Amino acid sequence: MQKDSQIEAGQVTGQPRDARWFWYSILCVFCWAAWALFSKFGSREIPPETMQFLFTIGAVPIGLALLAARHGRLERSPRGITYGVLNGILSGLGGLSLFAAYHTGANTAVITVATSLYPIITVLLAVVILRERLGLRQVLGLVFAGISIVIFSL
Amino acid sequence: MHLAPWLLYSIITVVAWGIVGLLQKLSTNNISAESSLIWLVVGFIAMEPFVYSGAAMFRYSAWNMSWALLSGTLNALGAWALFAALKSGGKASIVAPLTALYPLVVILLVPFVLHESITRLQVAGIFCALISVLLLSA
Repeated sequence: MQKDSQIEAGQVTGQPRDARWFWYSILCVFCWAAWALFSKFGSREIPPETMQFLFTIGAVPIGLALLAARHGRLERSPRGITYGVLNGILSGLGGLSLFAAYHTGANTAVITVATSLYPIITVLLAVVILRERLGLRQVLGLVFAGISIVIFSL
Repeated sequence: MHLAPWLLYSIITVVAWGIVGLLQKLSTNNISAESSLIWLVVGFIAMEPFVYSGAAMFRYSAWNMSWALLSGTLNALGAWALFAALKSGGKASIVAPLTALYPLVVILLVPFVLHESITRLQVAGIFCALISVLLLSA
């Protein structure tokens, strides 16, 4: 009995530390939901190019904070850096297009959901380039993505 | 087949971000997730000269410019939170689908903050898309 309660107490005291990942995930969900809504708010008036310009200025402090937390030290992998910068350029292009979609005045919820379908491309590229194999779950995911795109295009 | 402009733009976003998903994987094979995020911001900055619209930018309302700035901060903060979740022991198979559900919060808030309504057909599309995102992110 005492052992059980010790284990329970240990689990309880260990919980907040173990659950940190969950709260970080929730923080991520709310940050990204707010990002989508604020992008829409701004895009009602501001054209996509200027939205992207301002978006970047807003993102810079987080990049600087991360750099400061690492005391300015970054790994010197040319390949890693190239992929990282390319990520930024492609993310920016995707963002630009998202702002353009919001700027059209079409339904915000539909655009936000449709643009969150990007894992379909990642999964397909992983199969073609990284020679990863598709599991049943991914095949089903692609099927549902296809159905949703057809519905959105009706 | 005629595609509505919003759908065409959304498809471009999906393709660009889909490639990012793969590059992110390749990037973090060589450098840490935080470094990758820092270099991603450098990539954003590299685009700035191409999207700068000059002094015309200042004719927009201060409120809308603030929303645009905040959207950048929150996007980067969200990416940091995702990495922090993975670093503090979260399994990618749980964290990725969980964080991919951010559109659900948007769907719930849109009727109240933007007063937009959606058709039944759009609800069906959203439902299929959310299932797809959950299946593909896991």
